[in-house]
Amino acid sequence: MPDVLLTLLRLIFLALVYLFVWHVARSIASHVGLGAVARSGRSGNRVVVVRSDTQAGLDFTVVDSVVVGRSPKADIVLDDPYASEFHLRLTHRDGRLTVTDLGSTNGTYVNGRRLSTPVDLARGDAIQVGKTVMEVR
Amino acid sequence: MNRNLEAVLVVGASGLAAFGVTLVNLASGGTVDAQVGLTFVIFLLGFGTVSLALRRFAPRATPHLLPPLGLLAGIGIVEIYRLNPVRAGLQRWWLLIGAAAATATLWWMANNGVAVLRRYRNLMLVGAAALLALPMLPQDWAFPLKGNEVNGSRLWIVLDLGLVDLNFQPGEVAKLMLVLFLAAYLADRQPALVTARRRLGPFRVPEPRQLIPLLVVWLGSLGVLVAQRDLGASLLLFTVVVAMLYAATAEAGYLTGGLLLLLAGGVGAYRSFDHVQRRVTAWLDPFSDFEGAGYQIAQGIFGLGSGSLAGAGPGLGRPDLIPNALTDFIFAAVGEEFGFAGAVAVVAAYGLVVAVGFGIAVTARDRFRKLAAAGLTLVFAVQTFLILGGVLRVVPLTGIALPLMSYGGSAMLGNFVLAALLLRISHEEAT
Repeated sequence: MPDVLLTLLRLIFLALVYLFVWHVARSIASHVGLGAVARSGRSGNRVVVVRSDTQAGLDFTVVDSVVVGRSPKADIVLDDPYASEFHLRLTHRDGRLTVTDLGSTNGTYVNGRRLSTPVDLARGDAIQVGKTVMEVR
Repeated sequence: MNRNLEAVLVVGASGLAAFGVTLVNLASGGTVDAQVGLTFVIFLLGFGTVSLALRRFAPRATPHLLPPLGLLAGIGIVEIYRLNPVRAGLQRWWLLIGAAAATATLWWMANNGVAVLRRYRNLMLVGAAALLALPMLPQDWAFPLKGNEVNGSRLWIVLDLGLVDLNFQPGEVAKLMLVLFLAAYLADRQPALVTARRRLGPFRVPEPRQLIPLLVVWLGSLGVLVAQRDLGASLLLFTVVVAMLYAATAEAGYLTGGLLLLLAGGVGAYRSFDHVQRRVTAWLDPFSDFEGAGYQIAQGIFGLGSGSLAGAGPGLGRPDLIPNALTDFIFAAVGEEFGFAGAVAVVAAYGLVVAVGFGIAVTARDRFRKLAAAGLTLVFAVQTFLILGGVLRVVPLTGIALPLMSYGGSAMLGNFVLAALLLRISHEEAT
C-alpha cells in the first residue's frame, strides 16, 4: 500500500468524522431553534420561580408561547391556590418576551403593578401570580 | 422523522469504526482482515438494537444522543484495537452487553416510567452504598466473591467461577444509583433547601441547616478518598452532588460553599496523603520526576505533541509507550494517531452529548426527571472533564475512565444504562 494512498485515506477518515459531528450539531441546532436564540442574543426568555411554597427553583424557557396556570392542562402548572386555571400567557417572538393576562381572577403583577394590557418584559422583571413570584433571567 | 436520521448516523458510526480498523490493518502492512467486518456488524448490532428499542419503547426520545455516543465508542474501539486486538475483541462483547442492558432498561421503563425509580429512592441509596463497599471484601477468603486491589485503588470485585475470573467495578453502577437517589431526594425535599436567608451586612448568609447536605457529601467524598484511595471518584462524587444541589435550588451559596470545602479538602488531602502529593507534583511539573511519578503525563504530552495537526495515522504512532493508554490515557493515544483535528472532533462529540443531556434537563418540567437528567449528564460531563483535563494538564490527573472510549466493561455497561435513562426521560418530557 503506497504511503500517499494511506495518507489520503487517513484524511478522508478525519473528514468523515467531522461530517458526522457537523450533521449531529446541525440537527440539534435546528431542533432546539438555536438559530433564533443566537440571533436575539441573551434575550432573557428564561423564567425562574423565585418565591413559592413548593415550587421555588422551578425554571423554564419560553419558546414561542407558554401558558401558566393552576390547571394540569397548562404548560407550566402552578401549585398556588390563588392562581387561575389558565392565568397568563408568555410569548417569545423576535427576541421579545411578552406577558398577557388571560382574564385571571386575582390578576398578574409585573414589578408590583397590576397588568391591564400585554407588557414586554426585560431581564430581572418580577411577575407575581397569587403567592408565586417568577423572575425573568 | 428524526428516528431515521438517527438510524443513518448509527450506521455511519459503525462504518467509521470499521474504516478506522481498516486503516490500522493497512498501516501495519497486513491485509484487511475479518476484524473490519466484525467491528461493523457488532457496532450495528449494538447501537442498532438500542435504536430499534427506542422506536418501540420510547419513540419520542431525542434522536441526538445515540449518534455521538456511537462515534465516540467507534473511535475508542479503533484505538483499543490498534493497541491490543485481544482487548478490542473483549470490548466489543462489552458493547453488546451494554446495549442489551440499555435495551432492558428501556423495556422496563416502558411499563413503569422513570418515576418508578423515585419511589425506590432509599433502595437506590442502600444499593449504591452496598456496591461501593463490595470491593472492601477480603481478597483471600473461600467465598467466590472477592475484593481486589488494582494500582493501589480498591475498586474491583472478582467473581471466581473456578475456570474464569470475572472482574467488575461496582462503582460504575453505584454512581448512577446515587444520582437517581439524589434526584428523588432533592425533588421531594426542595422547599426545605430553599428558604429565606439571613443577612449579615451586605452578605446573604444561608441557614446553617442548608449546609448540612454539603457537609455530609464532603465527609463522604473524603471517606472514599481515604478508604479506597481513589481521588477521581472522590472528586466526581463531590462535584456532581454540589452541582445537583445548585441545580435543584438555584442558590449560588451552594457553589461558593462547595468551592471553599473543595479547597479545604484539597489542601488537607495534599498535606496528609503522599499519593495525592505525588499527583499534584506530577501535574505541575511532570519532567521533574520524569522516570517516576511524572512519566505517564510526560509520555502523554509527547504523544499529543508528536500527533501534530492531522496525527501520525492509526497504527503509525507509538501510543504503546504511554502507560495505561488503553484506559485512562486513551485520549493521548487518540491525539497522537488522529492528531489535533481528531482530538478536537472527540471533544466536540463529548460537548454535543453534554449539551443534549442538559437540554433534556432544562426543558423537563417534572422536578425529579429534571434533576435526574441534570445529574446523569453531570456524571458524564465531570468524568470526561476530569480525565481529559488530567491528560491535558488542566487539572491534576485522577485515574478515571473516559466514558465510552476507555477500555473497560463496567464503565461501558454503566454508560449505556446512563444513556438509556436520559433517553427515557427525554421521551417522557417530549410533548
